[in-house]
Amino acid sequence: MWPVTILEEGSQPIVRTDADPVGVAVHLRPPVRSHMEERFGPTDPPRMLDVARHPRVARLLRSRKLQFALILPNQIVFWVVIFVGALGTAIPGLNFGTAITWYVWFCLVFVMMVVVGRAWCSMCPFGGFAEWIQRRTLWGRAQRRLGLGLKLPESVAQYGFISSVGAFLLLTWIEEYFNIAGPGRPIATSIMVLGIVTSALVFFLVFERRTFCRYFCPLTALIGTVGAMGSVAGFRTRDRDACISCATKDCMRGGEEGYGCPWYTWPGSADSNLSCGLCSECYKSCPSGNVGLYLQPPLTSVVAPTRRRADVAWAVAILWGLVVYQQVNATSIFATVDSWLNRQIGIGYPNPVDYIGIIAAVAVITAGLVALVAVATRRSNLPAPTKGRFLERTSPYRSYFLPMMYGIIPVVGADYFARQLPKFLAHAPRVVPAAGHLVTLGSTHSGLYTLHIANNPAIVAVQVAVMAAGTLASIWAMWRISGRELVPVAARPVAARFAAVALPVAFGVAASLLYVIMHAAQ
Amino acid sequence: MTTTFITALSTDTPSTGTPAEPLHVDVLTDRCAGCQECVVRCPTGALTLEPGSWTAVADDARCVGCRQCVRTCPFAAITVSGPMLAGERVATGVHSPPSLLGDLGETRVGLLGGADALAEANRCLSCPDPTCVRGCPAHNDIPAFIAAVRDADLALAHRIIRRTSFLPDVCSRVCDQALQCEGACTWSLAGGTPVAIGALERYIADAAPLPPLEAEGDTGADMAVVVVGSGPAGAGAAFELVRSGASVTVLEARDRPGGLLDWGIPAFTLPADVARRPWEDLLAAGVELHCGVEVTAADIDELLGCYDAVILAHGAGLPLRLPIPGADLDGVCDATQFLQDAQAALQRGEPSQLLPSPEGDGEPPTVLVVGAGNTAMDVARLARRLGARAICVDWLDRRFAPVRPDELAEAADEGVDIRFLTTVQRLEGDDGRVTTAVFDETAQSDAGSKPKTVRRAAQREAVDLVVMAMGYRADPALSGQPPVARRATGLPSRRVQASGLLAAGAPAFARHQPIGQLVLGRATAETIAGLGIRDRLFVAGDALVGPSTVVEAMAQGRRAARAAVERRVHRPDRVPSGVEPRVLVAWESRGGHTEAVGRELAEALGRRHAQVRTLPLRDVTLTDLAAADLVVLGTWVEGFVVAGVRPARATTAWLRQLPGLGATRFALYCTYAVDPKGALDRLRQDVEAKGATVVAEATFGRHRRRGDVEIFTDRLLGGLGSGGGVANPAVGGQALGSVVGSRPISAAS
Repeated sequence: MWPVTILEEGSQPIVRTDADPVGVAVHLRPPVRSHMEERFGPTDPPRMLDVARHPRVARLLRSRKLQFALILPNQIVFWVVIFVGALGTAIPGLNFGTAITWYVWFCLVFVMMVVVGRAWCSMCPFGGFAEWIQRRTLWGRAQRRLGLGLKLPESVAQYGFISSVGAFLLLTWIEEYFNIAGPGRPIATSIMVLGIVTSALVFFLVFERRTFCRYFCPLTALIGTVGAMGSVAGFRTRDRDACISCATKDCMRGGEEGYGCPWYTWPGSADSNLSCGLCSECYKSCPSGNVGLYLQPPLTSVVAPTRRRADVAWAVAILWGLVVYQQVNATSIFATVDSWLNRQIGIGYPNPVDYIGIIAAVAVITAGLVALVAVATRRSNLPAPTKGRFLERTSPYRSYFLPMMYGIIPVVGADYFARQLPKFLAHAPRVVPAAGHLVTLGSTHSGLYTLHIANNPAIVAVQVAVMAAGTLASIWAMWRISGRELVPVAARPVAARFAAVALPVAFGVAASLLYVIMHAAQ
Repeated sequence: MTTTFITALSTDTPSTGTPAEPLHVDVLTDRCAGCQECVVRCPTGALTLEPGSWTAVADDARCVGCRQCVRTCPFAAITVSGPMLAGERVATGVHSPPSLLGDLGETRVGLLGGADALAEANRCLSCPDPTCVRGCPAHNDIPAFIAAVRDADLALAHRIIRRTSFLPDVCSRVCDQALQCEGACTWSLAGGTPVAIGALERYIADAAPLPPLEAEGDTGADMAVVVVGSGPAGAGAAFELVRSGASVTVLEARDRPGGLLDWGIPAFTLPADVARRPWEDLLAAGVELHCGVEVTAADIDELLGCYDAVILAHGAGLPLRLPIPGADLDGVCDATQFLQDAQAALQRGEPSQLLPSPEGDGEPPTVLVVGAGNTAMDVARLARRLGARAICVDWLDRRFAPVRPDELAEAADEGVDIRFLTTVQRLEGDDGRVTTAVFDETAQSDAGSKPKTVRRAAQREAVDLVVMAMGYRADPALSGQPPVARRATGLPSRRVQASGLLAAGAPAFARHQPIGQLVLGRATAETIAGLGIRDRLFVAGDALVGPSTVVEAMAQGRRAARAAVERRVHRPDRVPSGVEPRVLVAWESRGGHTEAVGRELAEALGRRHAQVRTLPLRDVTLTDLAAADLVVLGTWVEGFVVAGVRPARATTAWLRQLPGLGATRFALYCTYAVDPKGALDRLRQDVEAKGATVVAEATFGRHRRRGDVEIFTDRLLGGLGSGGGVANPAVGGQALGSVVGSRPISAAS
């Protein structure tokens, strides 16, 4: 920048630049730069893992059409799902809408989560469609938006991912009640997808940015937490000092080439991939090219963050409850209990009492196990609990609960993945005849329709192997986390670490056993 | 520190709180990213960063409720509830003369003394990112001069104001502060009462002598510049040129300098001695003034031949007239005529020549003023001072009228009959002189809609004089272009956005106008003033944008003059010595070839002692262009071998969205794979269509020869400094005599 005028005021020279005609009058307070290394050192990926250093990647990321190109194919597929689900064949296995959604898509989303993180969010057709309308453009950088642009009230926003978990529980109950994912009647899938698109659109037109994706999308908590295992750190600062000194914060407010972060994430302080939607808007908008796209070793966003979030911890506990419910509900004991309850209340499967009851019980038992570890090992002189908002409170219990819930993310993630495997392994090839059926080529007589990639008990073996891998990852993560975060608060640090590691081991074994029992029940 | 300044705490109650509610700052930690935008801008240091969670934390005890943090947080993660702890604004009353007749005394009373000034100064929070400075069209360093008032150092206050403004005594009296500095004060953005910035500026101007005007540098020492017009824009340009050491000649069509300040603003608002002061200072500083010199479009080229730069600041003096039956009757005049006649009459103590004498029964004559804007108020209030009855009619709704509320109130207090939603249908006369006005009744639903007539011939009124005071328009004959809209397009300035100015709503006292948008619009006009309309020809003030305000005109005049000086524009027969040209190298690159050539050019230019900036085209702003002596523009050539070969669409689109680029010099290059065909010609046409001058051009293939870039560099630098000769500022003055044959006015005379 050319200095235009240098004025002497006392002993301090004041440089005015043409960039800001009032620069001489601006005397911003110095920002806080202390403790940056302690805070971000463990989570900052190495510079060599910045893939945006490569010119071709950089050019791709700069293109405004990139996200559009990612969203468009999914957009087409899901509108096909909506129409074919409603108007196509009633045979679930042959209907392209149900086949692609439940045999392939859900499983692929889990693979993407575990490997990349929020890859799905960058190409999601639900939020993508609503965002096109909110921005009034398919890929451009429009200045005016459609909708009310309201901010989510803090009374809701303070619970972070908990709203999303609630939405996920509701959606799962609806899905179970109407047997949508069975898959059941294709039109049910069609209505469900249309419902998600409509909800997203309403939220996008009422609230600003991606409030829906950040707080209410049924999948955001699951993708955020399980995605922490992924090897993509997301968009992060290249030089934190430059970010802190930045006078415009275009990555947050929006700049010439990109919008402000739709996910309320600042590359300058991001310490995990939890809320990075990989939309690349910050990369595009940064006026100083100070944002990179970083890879990271797997599990970094589980192990490394120094700031643990209560909403993530409770989301993990509840999501663990949900996946356990989805295993338990395939057992004969559950069928007996659920039928009895349904007769009492007069409602069909799944009975909301046992649905919520089992999920809550698992979450509470998980929290209780942590409490046991805390009571048994914690130091007696820990600071007293503080009051405040849900996310801000601190207590001796939270100093155990929060890190330990991060530690079980791999085992929970593995359980969700294992739970999706049977449909994929048994029926994924049906997508081909289902696609052919759209043009009157495929049928239930097709060889692919009856082809299974694997059958029981091979499927159960794969599920148990997945659980074993998840458990091992969890053990490693929990050992690292407990070493850093439980040892300082524990009177008996070794016991605390072993007790912490025992938790994912127990969960892994329990989930594996449930898969075996489920197989036996079938 | 700032909290100690706050005295006599009052509770300006924002919509978000009640006086009983204690102040509380809420940081939503889920969304707070720890960017510290609030921390660096909080006036009282109530916000800091908690390094553990890397989120902002607030200390309620230090918060004064200005809500700057709320406005500046990029993620809307802060809320503040409770009252604003702002001191009571010190009242500055209005002097109501017991008898209006013949009284030209100033009506508005400033702050009564040092104690009042100190109390008002103590209300200022000295915001680290002062939005008031952005709201002021001149960008006065308001917190700094208010701090000087607090320190009772008025000489320092004057020095601070002098950096950016030459007219503190004038602007503090005539500025509509509600739409400028005070509208942008952090208190008013929060819904409270702003600091009385205008009153404090006036206190400084009145309580301590203004420093003499003198050269502060020699950046323009070898330049001779002529300014056409001596109104606020011309004075602003002359001020800036004098400071830079340039030789300044001013041509004024009237017989006295000052323009609008001299003839357009009555003495009861702007006393004559205050209106005269700027030109007394400019003449004392050596500005050569020629009055009674009418410059026409035909003279511009001759002036450009004699001077290094020409700044047109001739204002907007063409009055608007209502085309109604009877408008050509005797007794119908425009505001300019009436203002000049009435002020002259009042100063001489004689009756007005335009106003008929009272009838035999002693009934005062009735003056109908068409319009109810600020000029109309001036006309009506002068009519009252001449002993007439004054009626103002305006077809707008009172809520949407562009008149200062205080002027409206003062006029009403002085007995002016103001009728909104009324328009003149026709004027009727007797013996060729107007006698009666017939009014229609109108309705207006919102500020953007045109009023509609709802009742025809609703009223009749006997009138003796009709003054058309609906405003003025600029004469485009001289500049050759229509007025530029004061409207910002595209992405708003990132710094204005970051300051939180755009996040605030429209204050009620600013007639519900969003201050941030006004600021951006004014900034756009100022930037355009710096770009010029032709090589070495600049336009500023009302001549550029149509009727605006004194301070805007002055700021634009300054900007045009600064652009001329900073670019070191010069006549073809003169080469400035010892300067490093500032070159902006901008490219639209696709595969990296154009960028590579651009960077190579930048290196070559650097070796030849040019100050070089390199930017991708998409990042180039008007400000960047205005600050460059030469713009090297490179683009790739799109098309397929023979079909559709042309400069990249992004380049031509970028050029199209620019305003005029008159004073900008360009060097162009295209990079191509097979054959550029006519791409360079098309690019040149696009650039020249914007009025810019192309000094060199070249095309570069993928396998360019070594040395091609060096040759091009020499050529474009040659184009930048063509011609020869020695600077001679005196040439301007001598040539002027031959052009207009007038007698210069000196300070002594």
